[in-house]
Parts: sequence; C-alpha cells; structure tokens
Amino acid sequence: METGKSRSVTNPNRKINATKQSNGSELKKRKRSQFEFCEVCKLNHDQGQRHKYFPSHTKSLSTFLSRFQNKLSDIRFFLTNPSLLRPEHASLNRFWCVFCERDIDELGSSFACTNTINHLASIDHLKNLKYFLWKYGGGMNSVHNFTISEQDISKWQKKCKSLKSEAVSSTTASRGPLVGPSNDIHNELNYGNVNSFANNNIDYVNLRNSNGVMPLQYHTNEYQVSHSELSEVANVGLFPEDVSSSLPIETNYGTNSKNLNSFIAKRNCQHSQRLADGYLNNYGISQVYQNERMVKGESSSQGSQSLTPIFPMVPDGAGGNVHSGAPPPWFEAIDDSQQDVQLKPVLGSLVSSSIKQGKSKKLNPKRVGAAWAEKRKMEMEMEKRGELVKTGVNANWLPNFGRVWQSGSRKDSRKEFELENQKVSKVENQPVDAVPLKIQPYISKRMQRDASG
Amino acid sequence: MSYVLRTLTKKQEVDSVIRDTIDKVLVLRFGRASDTVCLLLDDFLAKSVREVSKFASVKLVDIDSEDIQVYVKYFDITLIPSTIFFFNAHHMKMDSGTADHTKWVGAFQQKQDFIDVVEAVFRGAMKGKLIVNCPLPPERIPKYQLLYKDV
Repeated sequence: METGKSRSVTNPNRKINATKQSNGSELKKRKRSQFEFCEVCKLNHDQGQRHKYFPSHTKSLSTFLSRFQNKLSDIRFFLTNPSLLRPEHASLNRFWCVFCERDIDELGSSFACTNTINHLASIDHLKNLKYFLWKYGGGMNSVHNFTISEQDISKWQKKCKSLKSEAVSSTTASRGPLVGPSNDIHNELNYGNVNSFANNNIDYVNLRNSNGVMPLQYHTNEYQVSHSELSEVANVGLFPEDVSSSLPIETNYGTNSKNLNSFIAKRNCQHSQRLADGYLNNYGISQVYQNERMVKGESSSQGSQSLTPIFPMVPDGAGGNVHSGAPPPWFEAIDDSQQDVQLKPVLGSLVSSSIKQGKSKKLNPKRVGAAWAEKRKMEMEMEKRGELVKTGVNANWLPNFGRVWQSGSRKDSRKEFELENQKVSKVENQPVDAVPLKIQPYISKRMQRDASG
Repeated sequence: MSYVLRTLTKKQEVDSVIRDTIDKVLVLRFGRASDTVCLLLDDFLAKSVREVSKFASVKLVDIDSEDIQVYVKYFDITLIPSTIFFFNAHHMKMDSGTADHTKWVGAFQQKQDFIDVVEAVFRGAMKGKLIVNCPLPPERIPKYQLLYKDV
C-alpha cells in the first residue's frame, strides 16, 4: 500500500483480521473488516474491498468523476488556449485535485492554470490517480481522462512561449491606425475593444446572452475556426487600468491571428470582472458599428485577413445599452427572480441571489427565529420597494439574549436588564469600564443593584 | 485594525446588523483592536470569513465606543475578546464546557476550530435549537474564570 499519502484509511491487514474473526464465529457469513471511509460515497463502511462494486458506490463514483471532468474540461480549454494570468486574479484561482486531495494555487504563474496544468501532467498526480482508481474502481483505462499527456503539455508550453514572445516584442506601430475610433472615454480600452470586435463581434453578443460560463461555441466563421486555437491575451487588454496590457491586443491586431475569447476565461474567478467587461462590451459594440468600415479598411491595409462584418444577431443591442442608460442584463435577471430567491442582506455587499439547487427552497420552518426572519424579509422587501418608510429602530431595542447568570426566560432577561438600567441611572452614573485590563472581577448587576437599592 | 472585517462603533449599526442578517449566523466579536488576543482572533476571522460566507457573517464591535456600553452591560461582557452568535436576531448559546454559555471568550487555536463552531451554531439554529454543543475537544477551548459576586 502506498504510504505517501495522508489518507485516514485502511491497511492491508483487514482481511487477516476478518478471517480471524470469522474463524471465531463460523455462522457469520459476511466478513467484517475495519471501517473505512469511502471518499466517493462519503460514508464509512465495513465492506472492505467489496464496497467498490456495490451499485450505490458505482453511481456515486460516476457522478463524482463527471463533476471532476467538468472542471477538467475548463482546464483543458486553457491547455489549448493559454492566456495570460493577471496577478490580481491569480489569488482567486484554486483548483482542488480530488485524487491528490490538495489545492493548487495559481500564485506566481504567468499563464492561466499553469500550476494546475503542470500538476495534472506530473508523475505524482498519475500515481495518486491510479491509486484512487484501484481503490474506488473507476476503470484503469480512464486514466487519460484525468491527466494531461506529455504531448499536450509540450504543445501548451510552446504556445505559452510564443505568447510571451509576442507580448514582449509588441511595438507601438500598430497603434497608429487605431487613432481613428477614439471618441471614447476609455481610450486604451477601446483600441483593444475595437480590434477584437472587428475580429469577433459575435462572441460578445453571445456572451451577453448566455451566462458566459461555458467556453463559447464559435459561429462557423471559417476565419474564426481556423484561428480558434490561438490564444487570447485580449482578456488582459480589456482592463482599463492597465495601458501596457492593451499592447498584446495590438499585436493581435498586427498578427491578425487571435480571436477574442476572453470571456470564457476563468469562470470560477473572474465572473465579476467578466461582467464588467461585458458591460464594456456594450460600449465597444456600438463603437464598432460606427467605425467598422474604417477599421476594416485599415486592417486590410495592414495585410491582415479580411474581416467579416458582423451584425448583431439579437435585436437586444438596440433595446438598451450603456449609452441609453439601460440597466445591465444581469440586474434584470435578478429582479425577476427576486420573489423566489432568498435575500441575504449583508451591510455593504451586493444582494446576491442564492438558489440552492437540489435542496428544497423552503427553509426549515422550525429554525430559530423563523417567524422573525419571515417578518423581517417582508419588511425589507417593502422598504426596498419604498412602500414602508424605514422607521428608525427604537434606540432602546435590544436583541433577544439569554443572560449569563439567568434564572428565567429570555424575555425576562431583557426586562430585568431594562429595569436594572433604570435603577442604575437613577442612583448613580457609574461608567462601567468594560475591560481596562483583560481580566476584571465580575460584578454582578444584581450585586450592584442590591448595593445601591 | 482589521481591514477585511467591518468594525461597528454605534449601537444603531449593531442593531441594524443584527436585524438585517437573515438566515445566517451573525458572529459579533466584541473586543479591542489593540489587544493581542483580539488580534489573533481577528486574524482567524478575517481569514475564514469568505469560507463561511454562505452561512455566516462576521462583524467586529469595538467595546471602547460609548454607544456600545449598553451592549457590554447587556451581554455581560467582562473578558475580551468575546464572541456572540446570533441567528435571525435570536441569540445562540453554545455549551463548550465553560461557565458562560452565552458567548465565546477568547481566541481559537486554529482557523478550522472557528469554522467548526460556526457550523455547529448554524446547524443547531436550522434545527430550531437555541443552545448547541461545542464540537471542539476541551483542550482547544480557552479557559477563563468568571467571577460572581467577588467570589
């Protein structure tokens, strides 16, 4: 048995113990082994090696593996389309490898999912994977599904290198023709935007409509198809705060080979950023419609391939955008579902909808404070809608609190406290120093009251 | 001073936080930013706030503020840092083998301890219990003396 891992499981002496036990009681047919924990079913069982053949286990295993496959498919996308990873987003990316049972951070990696890709190609991971499959019975021929082959990784590394060299060798020459469409506020941003839009408008439109979660299925524009493999540093270029980052966009333009797939990047971390980008997209799209020809002309003069004019598939673009002051599409989505959705108002944070899939939407009616919660939710809805003017909460409101030295119900404690307060304030205004020192002798209020009363 | 967690200094803020946190555990740490144990606790809180964010929210309350003295008295806070748990504006007690069940006194030894405690509170609250048992072994629970009537 491998000893290199810190699993809480099992030892090979199980069978020996089991047989000893069964010798003792001949009537016992079933061999009982020591309890082990099955990672897949998340339960403790004493079925030993037989467990992995049980139907319940095979079911759980297939869901388990398919879930992990989904995450891996994202990673594989980045394997074929490496893109630069900005340091501020690096900290948001973590990948949990179920076979090795460890998190893989992306700190200090220059390309998206570098560490993850390297991990998936490593020998240790392969070992762990094989052990896992042996233990939980996934089928040894599925090893290739969960690792990255050497060929793939070498291809990826080459792509990364070429990407880096392009980014480094980018010149400002390509900025020239872009001066044209610059009636905008976000100057550098739009250089990048316009380029990419000219190249690949439709993806934005698609993205706006979809949640932008899955890698985009490109429309069959042969130009796009042939170049869909090449990377997009455009992702980087769309962040307005960094001028230098828009340079790679220029190189895209110059080399005319990149599609803009930025929004499919990093679904797990850059959602909010992407939404912001989506917002900017609206802005950029309208620019493109006006300036398309100009850009097209320039691009062909650059020797790039011919660009196809793209018109928006969805009339939505005309319905409202940033210029007209329309709300962004994700707000509309939230409004609709607000009724069904449980509000979680935390001070200073966005109201986010939390739809628990697979669990019942109704919270346990017997939970603590359920009545209060329902009442309060109604109040907040009304406040939001502006019907109920927020009356200042009574300054003397106190929460329901069971006191430390208490001899009655909680309501009593509150009343007691208020009474004590009145008495204390009547007699003397003793400022109670909360804790000048860390430890202070505890003076019960009763004692104070008795002393004073 | 924790830059990740919000520190409340007014009773009205504390009130609104308690009232507005619906169906999530509200963790209120009463303490002082300059105290070492408080800092240790704050560090754990800041690190784990994101991980518990789906079922808990964490706020810090500064006990040196004038407004808050009412709460200091009401909650019988005598040792800092003291952490009090609320769920839907109801106070949750936790029996950790110490004298005071109404609050958690002291820091935690590991970040995971804090998460476990909050999870226990949440689970109990969702079942309708107002007092829960502490999931930590006694050696990891900070001990302290509560004095009653100068005894």
